[in-house]
Amino acid sequence: MAPEAPDESGRGAGRQGESDAWGAFGLMISGVAVWGGVGYGLSVWLGNQIFVMLGLLLGMGASLYLVWFKYGRA
Amino acid sequence: MSYPLAAAEGEGFVSPGPGTFVFPPLFGEGTFFTKTMLIVVLGSFAIAVFYYLAARRAATVPGKLQFAGESVYGFVRNSIALDAIGHEGRKYVPYLATLFSFIAVLNISGIIPVLQFPATSRIAIPLFLAIISWVIYNAIGIKRQGLVGYFKNMMFPPGIPWPVYILLAPIELFSTFFVRPITLALRLTFNMFAGHLVLVLFVLGGEYLVFDKGGLVGIAAGSVALFGSIVLTFFEGFVQLLQAYVFTLLTALYIGGALADEH
Repeated sequence: MAPEAPDESGRGAGRQGESDAWGAFGLMISGVAVWGGVGYGLSVWLGNQIFVMLGLLLGMGASLYLVWFKYGRA
Repeated sequence: MSYPLAAAEGEGFVSPGPGTFVFPPLFGEGTFFTKTMLIVVLGSFAIAVFYYLAARRAATVPGKLQFAGESVYGFVRNSIALDAIGHEGRKYVPYLATLFSFIAVLNISGIIPVLQFPATSRIAIPLFLAIISWVIYNAIGIKRQGLVGYFKNMMFPPGIPWPVYILLAPIELFSTFFVRPITLALRLTFNMFAGHLVLVLFVLGGEYLVFDKGGLVGIAAGSVALFGSIVLTFFEGFVQLLQAYVFTLLTALYIGGALADEH
C-alpha cells in the first residue's frame, strides 16, 4: 500500500527482530509437533514405529526451510 | 548434630517449590478468596484510580500525576502502537495501554513489600490475557482480509512452489493459530514464576544459613545470599517491566501483521 510506506519504514528494526525470533521459534515447534504428530498417528495405525522418526525429521526439515524462507533471505 | 539425620529430624533446609505459589483462602476454610485474587483486585483498583486522577483535570500545563499518566500512555502509543503497527495503530492504543498497565502492575506486585507475589506467575491470568489478544488479532485479520483471505495469507506465504505447501501450510497454521497464544502466555508466566522462585530461594536460603546453620561459613554465605536477594529484587523489577513491554509489543506486532498481510 503506497500511502503507508513512510510509516512502514519507521518501524524499529529491533522490534521486528524480536517478533522474528519468536516467530522462528514457533515455526520450529510447530513443524515438529504437526508432522511428528502425523507420524505418531501413522505408526499407531500401521504398527510400525519408523513413521514417528520420519515424521519428526520431515517436520524439522520443513520448518527449517520455512524459517529460512521467511526470515533468512536477504 | 549429625548431618545425615538432619532432614529426618526436620532441621534441614527445605527448598521452596511450586507450593510457594499456592495460597490458602484469606478468610479461612471454605472461602475461595486468595492472596492472588486480592492482588488482582488491588492492582485493577490502583490502575483505575491512577488513570482517573491523572485524567481528571487535564491541564495544558500538566501536574505531576497527569505527567506520569501521559508518560505511560505516550510510551505505549509511540514506542509500541505506532512503531509496531504504523499510523493505524492509534486505534488500538487504549487496549494496548490497558494491557501494559495491567501486566506491569501485576508483575511489580512481586517486589512490593507485604504483597511480594507476582500475580502473573499463576498461568490463569497471562493465559486469559493471551486469549483476549488472540481473539482481537484474529478478528482484525478476518475483518480486514476476509475469512478465506486471512487463512490463505497465513498458510500460503507467496513464492514457494505449490507441492511444498502441502508440507508447510499445516506448520504455518499451527504456529500462527495455536503456538502464538501459548508462547505469549507461557513466556510471561514462567518469567514471573522463575523470578519469584529465585527470590524466595535466596531469602529463605540466606535466612537458614545465617540463623539455623550458623558458624562462620554459614553467616558469611548467608549474608552474601541475603545481599544478593536485594540486588535480585532490583533485577526482578527490571524483568517485570520488560516482560509487560514484550507481551504488549508482541500483541501489537500480531495486530500489525493481521492488518498488513493484504497483497
